[in-house]
Amino acid sequence: MQSKTSFFNMALFKKNLSRTWIVGLLYFIALLLMLPISFVLTMADFDNSWYVESGYTRAIMLYQHMQYVPKAGLALTVAIVATGITFWFLFNKRDNYMMHAFPVSRKSLFFTGFTTASLVSLVPLVLNSIVMTIVAFVEKAQAIDAIWYWTLIVAVATELFISIAVFSMMTSGQIITSVVFYFIFCYLYTLMEVAFRITASFLMFGMSSSMSDLNTTMLTPAFFISANCGINAVVDTDDYGKLIGFSYELTGAKYLAIYAVAAVVITFIAYMLYKYKKLETVHDFIAVPFLKPVFTVGMSFFISMVAGGFVAEMINAAKTLTYSAKFAIAIVAAIIIGCILFYATQMMIEKTVRVFSAKKFFYCAGYSAAALVVLLCLRFDAFNVENKVPNANDVEWVGFSCDYTMVFTDEDEIGTMIELHKNFLEDKKELRDVNVLYSDVPGNSFTIKYKLKNGKTIIRDYSVVDTESEEVSAQYVAATEPILDFVNSPIQIKEHIIGNIYNDCTITEMSFSGYLYDESLEDYYSTYVDFDYLTDREKKEKFERVYEALLKDVDDGKVFTTSFGTDYYNNEDKLYNDFSFTIQNKKTPYFSDTDFFWGYEYANSYVRYEQSIYVQLSRDCTNTLQALKEEGFYTDDEEILTYGEYNQRMGYDYY
Amino acid sequence: MIQVNNVTKKFGDFAALDGLNMHVERGAIYGLVGPNGAGKSTIIRHLCGVYKQDAGEITIDGKPVYENTELKKIFTVIPDDIFYFTQANTMDMMKFYKDMYPKFDEVLFKKIMDCFPAINPKKMVRTLSKGMQKQVAFMLSIAARPELMILDEPVDGLDPVMRRQIWSLIMSDVSENGLTVLVSSHNLRELEDVCDHVGIMNNGKILIERSLDELQTSITKIQIAFDGDMPALPPEIEVLKKITNGRVHTLIVKGEPRAAERAIGALNPLLMDVLPLTLEEIFIYELGGENYAVKDIIF
Repeated sequence: MQSKTSFFNMALFKKNLSRTWIVGLLYFIALLLMLPISFVLTMADFDNSWYVESGYTRAIMLYQHMQYVPKAGLALTVAIVATGITFWFLFNKRDNYMMHAFPVSRKSLFFTGFTTASLVSLVPLVLNSIVMTIVAFVEKAQAIDAIWYWTLIVAVATELFISIAVFSMMTSGQIITSVVFYFIFCYLYTLMEVAFRITASFLMFGMSSSMSDLNTTMLTPAFFISANCGINAVVDTDDYGKLIGFSYELTGAKYLAIYAVAAVVITFIAYMLYKYKKLETVHDFIAVPFLKPVFTVGMSFFISMVAGGFVAEMINAAKTLTYSAKFAIAIVAAIIIGCILFYATQMMIEKTVRVFSAKKFFYCAGYSAAALVVLLCLRFDAFNVENKVPNANDVEWVGFSCDYTMVFTDEDEIGTMIELHKNFLEDKKELRDVNVLYSDVPGNSFTIKYKLKNGKTIIRDYSVVDTESEEVSAQYVAATEPILDFVNSPIQIKEHIIGNIYNDCTITEMSFSGYLYDESLEDYYSTYVDFDYLTDREKKEKFERVYEALLKDVDDGKVFTTSFGTDYYNNEDKLYNDFSFTIQNKKTPYFSDTDFFWGYEYANSYVRYEQSIYVQLSRDCTNTLQALKEEGFYTDDEEILTYGEYNQRMGYDYY
Repeated sequence: MIQVNNVTKKFGDFAALDGLNMHVERGAIYGLVGPNGAGKSTIIRHLCGVYKQDAGEITIDGKPVYENTELKKIFTVIPDDIFYFTQANTMDMMKFYKDMYPKFDEVLFKKIMDCFPAINPKKMVRTLSKGMQKQVAFMLSIAARPELMILDEPVDGLDPVMRRQIWSLIMSDVSENGLTVLVSSHNLRELEDVCDHVGIMNNGKILIERSLDELQTSITKIQIAFDGDMPALPPEIEVLKKITNGRVHTLIVKGEPRAAERAIGALNPLLMDVLPLTLEEIFIYELGGENYAVKDIIF
């Protein structure tokens, strides 16, 4: 019996279901394991668990559970499997011809197939959510909104991915290629961005970390839905993990609405492709004529661009190149590789090796010219990437990391850092070739990271050399020295390296290890004084006196200073002795610049009021060393030794 | 029933159909013959509505066939390589056809099934032998009660007994219900006994399209012997081919057999026999002068 509407054919639907029901069943089982079964196991013996003691409720447990259940990943997988099986007939000549010879229109074939794929994907989802709702009632976990909002997200994502899957199926005559195209389309924007960023990281000034600030956009739904749509459960706990607050929100509804519309549009485009598809394209690599040049040029362009950059980077690793030489090599390599790829892709599409015609040569030349233009644009920074410094108003914070890491949130400090960065970039021509121009001068590198108010980040890395070297030019010093002056100022060191509580804190712990040489062992052994005989108050006073001396050394520029000439780990003048202390302020939370800069602030979201700090001393830290000696941390000057002295005594060339 | 006018289809630079014209009357059994690569399967795919022609017109019952669902309900197709759903047995396929074709006759299907006792209806069709799969295809097609049946190399893989059985089923449907059959083959001998119309294809064109009656009255094979040399033949006798073996001459002459027999009989031969021509011979002599590789088509 055929349905009255030509959009749907019941006979076909039944046949489709007979082949795809197993996918739905497996999906349902997987969902059962991930949601209700997993939750029931989590809640086993909940009343006697640590969670109850810490103030967690059953509802909070369910909100947290639903927060971490996968969303886009599930939809991405089930969509391609269900759609692939449903539209399998498109990829086999026999099946394709026969299905289209039956008295059923393409409209019916398409929408019946689409309906089958949707039902096979959505029915298990909804059934599972019904089971999960029953489980939630049984477990008395009143968070039904979270269950059904999650269901809505997965449902919308599923429809979106099915639409992309159907679109992919219409673009190729081969099932494997269609699946590859599906993943390419799903991640197309990110893939293109990654290609540009990898190339930029190989070739452009300051861009070596460009891969680390990759942002998700709506054009990559697999990432974007996971990151922006869901149940955002926020649990506040004290230092001991006790619950002090809970809130949640269901995020990303507007994005889901946009994706739902996108799914409809993509489905319609896919249908139009199918409507006009020539069925003789079965087994063709690309079934849609206008996609052939797009695919050829796209593949050649992006792969050759990355490969060109990679070749230049490899040669640079063997022999340091100037900025321009690196670009020249990248351009030549990209064009050669691109031309090879162009013809290889043509061979794949045309299914013949006879692709060398004047017409194809013309296309290839056009592609090469385009690749040349893009790489020259990168070389001359036509897109203003290298020179990009954000407006102070747009910046939430700016971080600087070299020997030490600092994060500036104050408006004035942000403005200063931006100005210093701009000043640095003004002498770009010389700075980007420092490794060639001053190859004998000791070097280092630093990172500037801007966290923008719109959530994006801008990260730049620069190679630098010792500003105090006689070889470097006055221009170079003028570009770099102001940065050092700023980050080495005592107030910045105290505020950002010791921490925001540096002037209102208690020193709760302090340790110093001296080293003496044992002739019989032919090695150093450490001397350590724990002051167990002192009261807590006496110890605290002792520690504070040493801390005051350390602050004096900071004021004198003897400790925690950054240098562009030597790095933190490779300085033989630094002391081998270990010195560390813990500062505490029970009222003011400690702000860790390092954690903030590297993005660990979320991992350590609990508030902390103390911080352990390691100090790399040198013999120049006279105030600290004298205080340590006076306070009895060591008694003999022989206990003080540098890395250089240690290495020399031990016979090491380097440590 | 089928009208194909000046149809062209190109695959890249290759013209698979090159201005093809074809006409199949209602109730006819039309044999489409041609060597491999002639374009038989291509025109059949056009007739099934699978391919869309680049130029020209294809109609069945006066209606364009491409994407015409209603029209497709009146014909069935049995391709060379038959499609069955994975896991489907004969009964499953029967249900599918029943849903697809409004005139599907389940009683007839079961009746036909009785003629093929070797087929286990519960067994997956894809696991049956190629011959059995063909039989299932015929059962389904005939039970769909089509007005037109399009067959592409239909009896390949079938044993002679089964071929005869299937053709008799089709012939009875033709005679009882006025079924039109278009059957393609690369072998003319196979179609000789069943077709009433034949079209020969090569290089994407129909070279010749005739009814069998027309063909059989257009060429005559006469064996004659004279007492002495053969006298000059009357001018109305057009000899296509002459073979002399001693005093016996074999003539292939164009024209109606009785008229040729009368004209040559007037020369008083010692012996005169009018012999039947096979379809193969007719085509060879019809097309022999046109530089076509007719032998390649037929043999």
